[in-house]
Amino acid sequence: MKLRFWAVSLLAACFLLTTFSLSAHHSFAAEYDSTKAISVQGTVRKLSWVNPHAYIYVDVKEADGKIVTWAFETLSPNALARQGWNRDSLKYGDPVSVDGYRARDPRPLPDGSLHANARVILRPDGRKVFSGPADDGGPSK
Amino acid sequence: MRFFVIAATLMFFLIAPARANAQAGRNPPPGGPPPRTSDGKVDLSGVWDPGTSFGNIGQVPLQPWAEALRQERRANLSKDDPEGHCLPAGVPRISPFPYKVVQTPTLIVYLDEGNVHSYRQFFMDGRGHPKDSDQLWMGHSIARWDGDTLVVDTVGFNEKTWLNGGGIPHTDRLHVIERFTRSDYGHLEIEITIDDPGAFTKPHTFKRVHTLMQGAELLEYVCNEFNIDKDRLVGDK
Repeated sequence: MKLRFWAVSLLAACFLLTTFSLSAHHSFAAEYDSTKAISVQGTVRKLSWVNPHAYIYVDVKEADGKIVTWAFETLSPNALARQGWNRDSLKYGDPVSVDGYRARDPRPLPDGSLHANARVILRPDGRKVFSGPADDGGPSK
Repeated sequence: MRFFVIAATLMFFLIAPARANAQAGRNPPPGGPPPRTSDGKVDLSGVWDPGTSFGNIGQVPLQPWAEALRQERRANLSKDDPEGHCLPAGVPRISPFPYKVVQTPTLIVYLDEGNVHSYRQFFMDGRGHPKDSDQLWMGHSIARWDGDTLVVDTVGFNEKTWLNGGGIPHTDRLHVIERFTRSDYGHLEIEITIDDPGAFTKPHTFKRVHTLMQGAELLEYVCNEFNIDKDRLVGDK
């Protein structure tokens, strides 16, 4: 367990070091609830490469077997591009785990997906995919 | 588990030094003296990275009504910030995105990648400010050289923009003086004095230092493409 703590701490440090925070488009606190943390594991439905924030849609299987789609806000495409990402960096079916925060407005997006903000997105082997917006007043992970 | 720890450790040591030099895609700027144009002026041209200084503004000395409005906006979690609605930032507010300076002897153009694509024109042909300026989002700017420092004088603002994400207000009497000094090849120092007899108790000066993004270009950022945020900024209920 001590090892796990060490590894998680290191990963958190990696995240902080690599976070390239470039999104002050809107106040984090006005849109997302920092008391409603969520953590999901699922597969990528799509990476929506749109402004002012790209979204990653993740299909998550619930306990009853039902599939729920989460839409996680991430950075803007220009900021992601400067991190070396592009619209093909995540593909349909890619397994990911995402830590983030739920939107304060409980309404789903127009396509029915549940709305949240991603702070950390990891592949199963622990590699970071990309970080959610920072410099927006939201909590760091 | 052991493999995981080793991998994480390796990752840390691989990443940490890189971070010391640059954020992703950003190399350390070259040193040396600032370049000059053929007419001998310091050349401010380049793509500049505000880094974390984009929000610097210091303690603006606000009149009571302006302080009350700032606190009201803060209490509302800045949900009505024009930036969240993909409107221009105004002056001297900037986004964390880079901007590009294009310099000619009589006109300097300042291109903002964000918060929305916007531009400022610093007129250097001797003209003054218009007598009756329209209320502008980015103001009307004239500029002159003071030695190696470019002094930009801007007036003619509307009252719609916020001076920062924390909701500092201003009136249409806002007057901004920016002193741009390319202190070395890779750094642009900007000393900013803002005054607003309608909202401040006295003029206020602060400083930002921006870094050259050598070899970089502006990227596209079309804020209004999918701005679902504007209908989902709910504030503090």
